[in-house]
Amino acid sequence: MAAIGIRNLSKSFDGFQALSKFSLDVQQGEFLTLLGPSGCGKTTLLKIISGFLEPSTGSISIGGEDITHVPPESRDTALCFQSYALFPHLNVLQNLEFGLKQKRVSRDQRDARVSEVAAKLGLETQLSKLPNQLSGGQQQRVSLGRALVMRPSVILFDEPLSNLDAKLRDQVRVEIRRIQQDYSLTAIYVTHDQSEALAMSDRIVVLNDGKIVQVDTPEQLYAQPKTRFVADFIGGANLITGRVCSQTKENLTSVETLMGQIQTSHRINKSSENVELCWRPERAQIGKGPYCGTIVHRAFQGQFTDLILEENDMIFRIQTNNDRFRVGEVITFSILPDDVVVLEADG
Amino acid sequence: MSYARLNSLLIVMIVTVALIWLAIPFTMAILWSLVDPAEPWTADKLLPPVMSFYRWVDMWENSSLKYALISSYSLAPTAAILGLCLAMPTAFALGRFNFAGRELAKLLCLLPLVVPPFITAIFFSALLFQLGLNTWRFGAIVFAHSILFLPYAIRILTVSFENVRQDHIDAARDLGASPWARFRVAYLPALKPGISATLLIVFIQSIEEFAIAFIIGSPDIVTIPTLLYSALGQDFVRPNAAVLSLILVVPNVFLMLILERLMRSANPALSSGKG
Repeated sequence: MAAIGIRNLSKSFDGFQALSKFSLDVQQGEFLTLLGPSGCGKTTLLKIISGFLEPSTGSISIGGEDITHVPPESRDTALCFQSYALFPHLNVLQNLEFGLKQKRVSRDQRDARVSEVAAKLGLETQLSKLPNQLSGGQQQRVSLGRALVMRPSVILFDEPLSNLDAKLRDQVRVEIRRIQQDYSLTAIYVTHDQSEALAMSDRIVVLNDGKIVQVDTPEQLYAQPKTRFVADFIGGANLITGRVCSQTKENLTSVETLMGQIQTSHRINKSSENVELCWRPERAQIGKGPYCGTIVHRAFQGQFTDLILEENDMIFRIQTNNDRFRVGEVITFSILPDDVVVLEADG
Repeated sequence: MSYARLNSLLIVMIVTVALIWLAIPFTMAILWSLVDPAEPWTADKLLPPVMSFYRWVDMWENSSLKYALISSYSLAPTAAILGLCLAMPTAFALGRFNFAGRELAKLLCLLPLVVPPFITAIFFSALLFQLGLNTWRFGAIVFAHSILFLPYAIRILTVSFENVRQDHIDAARDLGASPWARFRVAYLPALKPGISATLLIVFIQSIEEFAIAFIIGSPDIVTIPTLLYSALGQDFVRPNAAVLSLILVVPNVFLMLILERLMRSANPALSSGKG
């Protein structure tokens, strides 16, 4: 049985449709990320799951039990807030045991759970400190700990890393994932940061305009984006439209584009004449090849170099670990048919 | 002119104004309260010729000062607590709910303050008479004071309610807190400075209020301001008035200092982490 079952969920605010007919199953122990741009409905969905919003239509269940109209204080979920929402007048220990006291957990149980979680999160020495004496990363850990001591069926994260600096973000996301796996927690994680989503998730739900655009594993989502929106939103993508011209043997299809003929091994609906193709910048193989372009911009990024090429009034991007290329050089390159993805129309 | 010079000039000006504004009246009040009736303080003398605590002892023993102190210091805290209770629901609505006309409603709450206090007092006491609330004079004054100073209370508490963070309320709820536990953990820490400030402001205003206390209270209830006005108005005994003014003002100065500390003290609900 799925840990969370969402059926035909819709939510509208004063005529604005924030979510429409949203259905999704989340498996026990799964780390699922809701990814999308601002206003795509991901936070609305999280608020509905945590109980702070009621859906306009549809239902939601946890462990098979319908909780659509259950208030947040009675739900078996725990939410980690973007702002951490630690009670500023309570010290770390009091913050950690607040929820347990509300649920009237016995003192022994409380002490045991708090010390276990504090040890796991490295908070033992911080227990007597007030939140404003902690760094952002430590506050984030207390917030996570406060949710963990509740031992919820589902743990919900609302962009928990957005207030941390880049380095700390990398560190804390590894920690969150480790703890989620250690406790086999079912987790729903909201973010607009695609690298966070790719690094942490078992599955990613890409949302746009309140609808699911694609649900897949991070690897699949990156390698096989279904639509232009997904391709563009996750990682860098070169998008090009073209006309199908021939189907060759070995299941390769040739598409005539402004770059020239591009071959793809992906299936193309026979009826479609015009298609949109996508290839990832790091998949281009520089050297010999049918395609060429002039470097108009170069950005050294450390482990790779970003090159912006121009050809036939078209701009595309290539990433290479060779840092000798300079602006003005003309380079030729090829793309393997397997790396050229055919996109469906958006919507 | 350099900034440093301008700064020191401004400081000198502020200190001078403060001296003229505060120190001179206080010094005069202290000196007048010490004038001995044996020899009057006439205009040709810089200081009173003979100084003693006669006026203080006399006022304490022979006027209704003791009674006035008791009634003033029992009226004021009662009015402060009642005012706080009455202001809470309105402040909660103004501070926590978004509705059309909220800003206008906030402004309307402050409007009674622009009417001269004596006018409000006369009409408000007429209302109390009509309602038949004038028979229990103490209660009537408490009620009137708490209503009259509601604008201050509502304004201060509205700001406090606005400072309560929604994520704290939500976090408490998410962790299973009952409405009372939510109030204690999310609302109360943010409201505390506002509650103290409201209590003190209404307390000070009530201690100093004359018109209502006079119209409704007299002749049964004497407060310090009504005693002061009678010392000044009927008998015009300036040394006695000086004694009463000091009795009225000195506790208020200390209370204002406490208030200032409360308002300045960091509101824990607003503090953020080191980031």
